[in-house]
Amino acid sequence: MKLVGRVPVEPLDDERMTNIERRIVANAAVAPAPRAPRRVLGFAAAAMAAMAAGVIGWKLGTSPVQTSTVAEAPISIATTATGGTLNIGDATIESDPSTQFVVTRPDGGVLVDLKQGRVELEVAKRTNRPALVVRAGDTDVIVVGTHFSVDWDGSGEVDVRVTEGTVKIVRHKKESLVAAGEAWEPKRGTIKLADAKPVARRTGGGPAVASVTAGESGAGATIGEVSTGSGSAGYEIEIGDGPDVLRGRTAQVPDARTPRTGAGGSNAARTEPRETTPKAGSGSDAGAGDGPINIVALIKQHAVESPVDVGESVSASAVSRYQEMIRNSKTGDEESRAYYGIAYLQAMKMGRTEDALRTISTYERRFAQGRVYPERASIAWLKLRILCSRRLDGECKQVAAAYQRIAGDTAAGRLAERVTLGD
Amino acid sequence: MAAAYVEDVLLVDRCLTGEPAATRELFRRHRNRVHACLFRVLGSNRDMDDLLQEAFLQVFQSLRGWRAEASLATWVDRVSVRVAYRYLSQRGRRIQTDELPEDDMVAGPDVGPGSRRQLARDGVRRLYAVLDELSPAARLAFTLHEIDGRSLAETAALVGSTVTATKLRVWRARKRIEAQAAQDPVLAEFLEPGTGISGEIIPFDKEAP
Repeated sequence: MKLVGRVPVEPLDDERMTNIERRIVANAAVAPAPRAPRRVLGFAAAAMAAMAAGVIGWKLGTSPVQTSTVAEAPISIATTATGGTLNIGDATIESDPSTQFVVTRPDGGVLVDLKQGRVELEVAKRTNRPALVVRAGDTDVIVVGTHFSVDWDGSGEVDVRVTEGTVKIVRHKKESLVAAGEAWEPKRGTIKLADAKPVARRTGGGPAVASVTAGESGAGATIGEVSTGSGSAGYEIEIGDGPDVLRGRTAQVPDARTPRTGAGGSNAARTEPRETTPKAGSGSDAGAGDGPINIVALIKQHAVESPVDVGESVSASAVSRYQEMIRNSKTGDEESRAYYGIAYLQAMKMGRTEDALRTISTYERRFAQGRVYPERASIAWLKLRILCSRRLDGECKQVAAAYQRIAGDTAAGRLAERVTLGD
Repeated sequence: MAAAYVEDVLLVDRCLTGEPAATRELFRRHRNRVHACLFRVLGSNRDMDDLLQEAFLQVFQSLRGWRAEASLATWVDRVSVRVAYRYLSQRGRRIQTDELPEDDMVAGPDVGPGSRRQLARDGVRRLYAVLDELSPAARLAFTLHEIDGRSLAETAALVGSTVTATKLRVWRARKRIEAQAAQDPVLAEFLEPGTGISGEIIPFDKEAP
């Protein structure tokens, strides 16, 4: 069998090769630079954005925010199953499943028009730059470098809570300033956060929640990266002028620290009870307003799920039983339960946190792929508890972010979110 | 050799500065070899545009990782083989090999107008049909060694495996192909001209224009 040279290579015609070369040269130019953003122009995505521009149009005519009619192509996002992330350079917008929003750049600012669902924004400091506005119905929340959350059910009331910095709220041409430690409700206006009614997240078509975090990042390129929840691969969209353009402009929206007065009405209030952390010891959401020390206290107070009982009261004996379970296990379920049992005992009963972390690491490697076992959340919380009880450092925040993705909008998930935000 | 090495180093340096001309030059120097390698692994030009693009983007994105220990060509080939492996793994074992070379591109003696070409064409088609059934690793080992003509050591280095494991994969693939050839005279004739259906060439000749 001598096949060398006997399978002829069909050459690619010049046009195909030229096209490949053109794409490679265009895309490879920035590739070697470390941390350089990939500049990939997704034609399909661009077409989608252009289509969105046509379909959705520019709806800022009656906006309470000063806007321009010169619009760059709006980006319309509608996530389905698993949510996604849109990086627009000066802000990163993470969206939950079943979320719809449109991003536009009026006068170099950013307008996130939330239709429904939940978005989280990480926003660069906007000093000397036009505002970033999250619009929930008839309410505009204007970012001036802060950390706050907005809940909106798509048709009812908006609830804004501020834990850092200041936001300006514009509704029916009436402006309100809300500072850290304060909340805002349509009926009551600006109130102390502690006096705010707890609000609950609805299940199924629940309220829209937009949380915005001020940060130092976002001075990057203008390439937006989108990963949709439909299971398709991520794609990238060029969305027009970015931070470089934004930086040189004068803010079109007055700074929140110099409030204007204006006429306007108010809406009927309707807030719903929010799920709270049982042991947080405060009426607000997951102890909002507590400092780092209290976050650690809250983490420690939060219940750790007990492992499956193996009928051994002595920890060392129980660990042996769990090890036996792993050796004899015929299913991943048993193994998963046993690993968690060992990690739990090492961390909670035996004071051997390093050993517990090693066990957790083994668990993570063992179950890195395939089915997600019920112990995954418990073991992730255990890891968070161990690491964040020691220090609220980068590793802790990384683990908290991972846990938050698993736990979602639960009390522990929100606590983890606070850790990641560095409250 | 030394001159080529220095040229490679200088070219890579230029690429790392983001010089488009250097990027273009590197692509042009290596594109035909990479294309031929990928074609022999896959047996067709289906998805070749994407694969070539992916291979070279990978090359440029990891260009800083080239330590000049191996020649740039070998390093580029290694990246390309990795891309091919990923493609084969993602696509599953069965790759459609319906896009075959044009008649006039098929190698072999141009005896009996049309017949040899047709036979070779059918042989290639049937060979790749068997290769479609192999694992990506076995397919890569076989095609790189037996079709692309690389040594076992070079093949092993390209696929990131030991020479022994590579040799075993090639041997198994060969056995599989031979087993199929025992039942398929067209494949047998392609593999060992003159031992398969050489006596049946006449009917093909009759059909030929």
